[in-house]
Amino acid sequence: MALQRRLKPAPVLVALAPALVVLPLGIVLLRDLHGGGVEQIGRFWLAALQPSLDPTLLKHQLAELQITALTALLAWSLSSLAGLLLGVLSSTTICSTLTGRRWPAVVLRRCLAPLRSIHELIWGLLLLQLFGLNGWVAVLAIVLPYSALLARVLADQLDQQELPALIALRCAGVPAVINLFTSLMPPVAAALRDHIGHRLDCALRSALLLGIFGLGGLGTELMLSLQSLRFRELWSGLWLMALLLALMNLVIRRLSARHGLLLLTLALPLVTLLWSHRLNHDLSLPRWIQGAPWPPWAQLRDGLTQAWVETPWLELVGRTLLITVLASGVAIGLPPLLRLIAPDDGPGRMLKAGWLLMRLLPPPLTALLLMLASKPTLAVAALALGLHHSGVMGLVLEDGLERVDGRHQQAMVALGAPRRSAWLFGVLTPASRRYLAYAAYRSDVILRDTAVVGLVGGAGLGWQLMEALSSFHWPQVGWLILVYAVLTLLGELASEQLQERA
Amino acid sequence: MPGRQRPVVMATGLTTGLAFAMSLAGCSGAPSTNDPVLKIGAIPDQNPEKLNRLYGSLSDELSESLDVDVRYVPVSNYAAAVSAFRSGSLDLVWFGGLTGVQARLQTPGARVLAQRDIDAKFTSVFIANGASGLRPITSADQLVQLKGRRLAFGSESSTSGRLMPQYFLGENGVTMGDLAGGGPGFSGSHDATIAVVQSGTYEVGALNEQVWRSNVDEGRVDPSKVAVIWRTPPYVDYHWVARPDLDERFGEGFTDRVQKALLSLTPSTERGALVLDLFGAESFIPAQNEDYNKIEAVGRQLGKVR
Repeated sequence: MALQRRLKPAPVLVALAPALVVLPLGIVLLRDLHGGGVEQIGRFWLAALQPSLDPTLLKHQLAELQITALTALLAWSLSSLAGLLLGVLSSTTICSTLTGRRWPAVVLRRCLAPLRSIHELIWGLLLLQLFGLNGWVAVLAIVLPYSALLARVLADQLDQQELPALIALRCAGVPAVINLFTSLMPPVAAALRDHIGHRLDCALRSALLLGIFGLGGLGTELMLSLQSLRFRELWSGLWLMALLLALMNLVIRRLSARHGLLLLTLALPLVTLLWSHRLNHDLSLPRWIQGAPWPPWAQLRDGLTQAWVETPWLELVGRTLLITVLASGVAIGLPPLLRLIAPDDGPGRMLKAGWLLMRLLPPPLTALLLMLASKPTLAVAALALGLHHSGVMGLVLEDGLERVDGRHQQAMVALGAPRRSAWLFGVLTPASRRYLAYAAYRSDVILRDTAVVGLVGGAGLGWQLMEALSSFHWPQVGWLILVYAVLTLLGELASEQLQERA
Repeated sequence: MPGRQRPVVMATGLTTGLAFAMSLAGCSGAPSTNDPVLKIGAIPDQNPEKLNRLYGSLSDELSESLDVDVRYVPVSNYAAAVSAFRSGSLDLVWFGGLTGVQARLQTPGARVLAQRDIDAKFTSVFIANGASGLRPITSADQLVQLKGRRLAFGSESSTSGRLMPQYFLGENGVTMGDLAGGGPGFSGSHDATIAVVQSGTYEVGALNEQVWRSNVDEGRVDPSKVAVIWRTPPYVDYHWVARPDLDERFGEGFTDRVQKALLSLTPSTERGALVLDLFGAESFIPAQNEDYNKIEAVGRQLGKVR
């Protein structure tokens, strides 16, 4: 019997294997490394210790920070509410229990996929075309992909639950709605709460990134400081952002322990609307801006055909996938690898501080810093993206490790196992499954994020999209978004397949 | 059980009460003024501190001379500035050559009002890292030396940091595919171009000569590592563009008044001197839409204007 079972790699190996990409990346970087940018890089890190404390600057940045926070909070609460609703509607279990049919849920699920396959930044730049510089543009840009993503996570959670309780209660004649609440909601609730809490952190970083690309808030200030290499001013903003992130995480932790998360999401829209009023931030109802009329069909068709023909798809898609794979490798593999090298608590805390820092630095900034030290290659783009997301993954890992019951490790150590092996099998292994489930979502995000590291020598679809947007070349923008969406969906299908087999 | 439920009940009550109070306060605090506000903006090519000082002073100046409320809206992205202008989120914008053309094409009726004295004959410089072995170029046809080199532009929509340098390269037989890596890199800004060339990451870079000079004057450039190898022929660049509906919203003849206010800025007043100094100009001079026809043609040729 045992021989007939297929060999499966242990989750812990799957978690560590991606770190293999660090090797080729490291070789390329070492080859291209140069000392010419040391001075600037040194200036950057020194500036972290002595950020500008100019009162007018700080006042200004604080006001902008509030706009970023407001945008993020509003987007987070709306996307949580919409995501919960859509998630319930797109769960096949719920749908078939209530109506006896599966297909409405499946259809809804597929319809939501394009929404989440487009990066919030691209949503932002597209909505900007339709509504102008209105506060809702940034909010909606986050709400659209985030609610679709939450819907997917929730539906996945609901549909993956074991069903005996549901069936038993149904056989006992319990009404469908009550049955669903009793048998499905409790096991899903905890995971969902974690996810919603984590999304606030993501929303804050998204709001910052939207600002970087021109949609207001602290990001705009940071980008202007970065472009003019005013690192001290840049760090004032980054530290403010770090404080905000820390504060929000604290609040979320407190609230989710006391079941206050849902209340917060309900109350936030009202509070933020008033808040925007005080900040003089335009959150009035967005008005549809009449653009140029649509060209006649024949012209549109010619434009689309020409744009399709003149774009080197193979090269662009190839480069994008390569960056995604390399960056995902770094993001997923680096945290467990470094933690394995230093399994003790002391270095662990230092690593955690490192992850917090990585997550704080927006990818365009990381890319510029790396570019000052290395020749512009695809490896630099991948590493910049990978390092930013390794910050996110590192924190997910730490969070997972904290939840692991230490008794296995203690037992192994007591039996004479080396400390590192005991940690690997006693702590990391049990935490791996949750970590990997999260990693699958993260690689989707990384694929979409390739849009933000265009900086490095015309790297892939993301760069092409930025170029097309800045040339207002709409036919090409349309194709690029479509290709992005298809790639994301294929990626999702692949990761679903892998998860089913695992 | 009641013990566990109490905090939830309290929280619900508090939230509802708070929300009510807020919505009431929100209603009474609605904006009372309906006076139109002139929203000015600029493409991002300066540091934020300077932009805020610059546009703060200019807003005050315009507000005084035009007798309307003026607000400066910062934008950090060239394409976003163009879209914001088209959608009416910005009324009067300091555009670069290319972005101004893009904005006017998308906003029929928009008018070029003025440029700086230096904009009529603006230039870009090509700078090279000392270790690249590139020598100063005496005639444009020597630009072929740049084939196979790592070259950095600034922002993808910059006239002086990308469009015109790329145009002059093309005129002299260097296509983007001839560069190392199959294409140029984009540092994102003029200052960043200096940094990436000085560090040696890129061998050559092209940027706005005005920004280059101010960096040299402020001692932010290491002359032992990076030097100018070529200056482009002159072309027209930055300019003020006004939306077509200003007269309609602010009264007959308002656009002309804005133009006059800009042109009459002089170094003889304290604020005028500050604004002109921050703009790096002696004065503003009149400009028309037609002055930018050449830029539009180049933009079309390079696919940046559709």
